[in-house]
Amino acid sequence: MMEEEEGAEEQQRFSYRQRLKAAVHYTVGCLCEEVASDKDMPFSKQTIAAISEVTFRQCENFAKDLEMFARHAKRSTINTEDVKLLARRSNSLLKYITEVNENLAQFNLERKAKKKKKSEDENKDAVEPGEAGVVEIEN
Amino acid sequence: MEESGAGFRKELVSKLLHLHFKDDKTKVSGDALQLTAELLKVFVVEAAVRSVRQAQAEDLTRVDVDQLEKVLPQLLLDF
Repeated sequence: MMEEEEGAEEQQRFSYRQRLKAAVHYTVGCLCEEVASDKDMPFSKQTIAAISEVTFRQCENFAKDLEMFARHAKRSTINTEDVKLLARRSNSLLKYITEVNENLAQFNLERKAKKKKKSEDENKDAVEPGEAGVVEIEN
Repeated sequence: MEESGAGFRKELVSKLLHLHFKDDKTKVSGDALQLTAELLKVFVVEAAVRSVRQAQAEDLTRVDVDQLEKVLPQLLLDF
């Protein structure tokens, strides 16, 4: 009886993994299609499948490294500093990821400020006229 | 965040990472997920673009697994 249950659980894990692989394959396909259009050079189906396989495997490396980096810093939540460490092997890659991170932080900051301003505008009656245009950015 | 074209969804990245964590308590911040998604996108695009360059160098009209195999070692070293 126990063996049957274990077998069923194994099956579930396997098909979950397969579903994730399929999702990765879809995204990889889309990205390759963009590159193919841009460079006017098509990819064989096998190539897309191979890139997808490699990407899935690379995720395992990323996950394990990220977990270890956070643990090394005595954290249980992985943050952007950990992700930047993943990009350390190539200077241009590190530079690019750092830039993306800065844009992301800026974007989130602006979004927070907009939200705050919106709720401030909605409370206009409670605020003095001179203060309505002031937006405070939290750190 | 402006997204040009396809990319990895945060939800998918989260599932992919959690699949391989050793500790149940490990979590990922939202920003870290977005950054990882971007990193994965770069990985795939690099693999694709380098394969295309290899195919062009070999005067081919289509990218096949042979071209990917040639660029894979350096790609993995760069990541």
